[in-house]
Amino acid sequence: MEELRKGFHHELDEVRLSLARLAASVIEAIPRATNVLLSGDLEGAEYLILADDEIDSRSIALEDRCYQLLALQAPVAGDLRQLISILKMVGEIERSADLTVNIAKAARRIYGHSLDPKLRGIITKMGEQAQQLFTSALQSFEENDVAIAGAIDDMDSYLDSLQRQFVQAIFESHAAGSIDLQVAIQLAVVARFYERIGDHAVNIGERVLFIVSGWRPENKGAARHAAKTTHDDTYGIPLPNINAPED
Amino acid sequence: MLVGGIIIGIIVSAFPFVFFLRRSTVKANNESVVGSVELLSSEAEVHVAELDSVLNAIPLGVVVTDEQGNIILGNHIAAGVGILRHIDVLVDEAAERIIKKSRETGSVVRETLELFGPPPRTLVIEAMPLEGSKSIAIIEDISERTRIDAVRTDFVANISHELKTPVGALSILADTIRDEDDLKVIHRLSSKMVKEANRMAQTIDDLLELSRIELDGSVVPEPVSVYSVIAESIDRMAYFAAQAGIGVVSQLPEDDCVVKGDRLQLVSAVSNLIDNAVKYSEKGDKVTVRVTSLDTTIEISVSDEGIGIPQSDIDRIFERFYRVDRARSRGTGGTGLGLSIVRHVMNNHGGSVNVTSQEGEGSTFVLTLLRPSGNTAVNNI
Repeated sequence: MEELRKGFHHELDEVRLSLARLAASVIEAIPRATNVLLSGDLEGAEYLILADDEIDSRSIALEDRCYQLLALQAPVAGDLRQLISILKMVGEIERSADLTVNIAKAARRIYGHSLDPKLRGIITKMGEQAQQLFTSALQSFEENDVAIAGAIDDMDSYLDSLQRQFVQAIFESHAAGSIDLQVAIQLAVVARFYERIGDHAVNIGERVLFIVSGWRPENKGAARHAAKTTHDDTYGIPLPNINAPED
Repeated sequence: MLVGGIIIGIIVSAFPFVFFLRRSTVKANNESVVGSVELLSSEAEVHVAELDSVLNAIPLGVVVTDEQGNIILGNHIAAGVGILRHIDVLVDEAAERIIKKSRETGSVVRETLELFGPPPRTLVIEAMPLEGSKSIAIIEDISERTRIDAVRTDFVANISHELKTPVGALSILADTIRDEDDLKVIHRLSSKMVKEANRMAQTIDDLLELSRIELDGSVVPEPVSVYSVIAESIDRMAYFAAQAGIGVVSQLPEDDCVVKGDRLQLVSAVSNLIDNAVKYSEKGDKVTVRVTSLDTTIEISVSDEGIGIPQSDIDRIFERFYRVDRARSRGTGGTGLGLSIVRHVMNNHGGSVNVTSQEGEGSTFVLTLLRPSGNTAVNNI
């Protein structure tokens, strides 16, 4: 069959490409942030903070492009799910870029304090895992791969457990007197930043699921809620009284 | 650089011809024209296929775009630098931007793209306008060249540092002693001088050993018992390890294995690894030397539970004089040449050395040696 909305689908492809590029910038920023933190690279921190402005501007441009397409092209069904999901994913990606900036700022605050090898090791792992999650999110989006999208949530639980390990290691390091309270608090917050980046990757994966299948994980909770709150789902037909004695 | 320029030159000059051929091919297929043109088209197809294979054979990414910026020709490398997914996306974006800039300005635009990876990558993207509003972009991966440049400059800086520090200390100490009458002070200063002189002698010894191993590219292969290499290496380090309060244990297979090579060099490699493992461990930690006998190879691994190696340094630790943390290394007293020696010994033996490490959990170095073919009974030694 002849492609009906060729121009529109071409534009949709461009929007998808822009989103992939935005995500790629964040994937690149995560290991940079980790390196800034571990090596106390103030110049690198400055670079990350400045680079975020570009990501902000690209996010806004992409968002506007989506609004335009929604208004002018009135997409339906799968196309509509694509555009709405891309709109939501822009937010997730933009927020993740902000989190890498937050890591860079935390690195500036703890500049000059040395960290235990154990803490450094877990930071390295958290950075790698957060990057891995985001790479998988990008891959699932580019290829509409539901299997990868579904796996991201489970991959995230490893990042969560790293965060818990890290907090434990911070306590130990503080108790041993190798870091002071201020550094300890900054580090705990940094762990939270990595964990949040992972959560945003999970959300992107969920939006990919929605694009492909129209299903959201929240549907489960919504169904439970509906079962609890709907009293009359029998359309007025009386239920047979199973307790009634037989004649 | 020159070779690259020539290749690019050839490709650029070949393009208009190829596009002409391509168009005629398309036409022939769609409109089923007369026989003579079909003949031309099959000839043209051969040319296009040839050009495709030439394009794909060269180690550069090549992209050609039309006046709207749409890609009309590209090779495998341009389709994906093939390192990591997000790097491909970023390179693609940069190439598009640079081509656009070149089209707008009508001139050659060249940009260097530094990507963090990991592994880090440095790419040079160059775009230039072609005849008929077309543009070409060449993507070149110069990561390896950049890395080698860094190694070379760092080597000169590091060797100067390693030799200059003890010489500087010696000259200051000697200067102080010259005007000193107090015997006690003279004694203290002169023992410091001895220490600095020893340190320099150690560095020079290691340098000489390294250059000897480097020059002796061809090892005279003799059957060597792996048991005896491990035993001698552990023995060499035993006193040092005991002083540091670190236990060195070995896990060996039931039967001894044999490799072919230079016994002294192999002992030097294994003991260097044990030396490092002990140096970067805390008191009470354990260092494990393990031998694994595989089908075609024999692996000797040295694992510690020490501080580990930062991810950003792990690719560079085998370079001469490379230090992860200079301040700490002065304390541990190494010369910064140990791992270079290990790597060269392995090169001489046709083997390899690999490392895995996690900061705070420890490092494992694995030496892989080829199992000799033929009769390898231990009693032949």
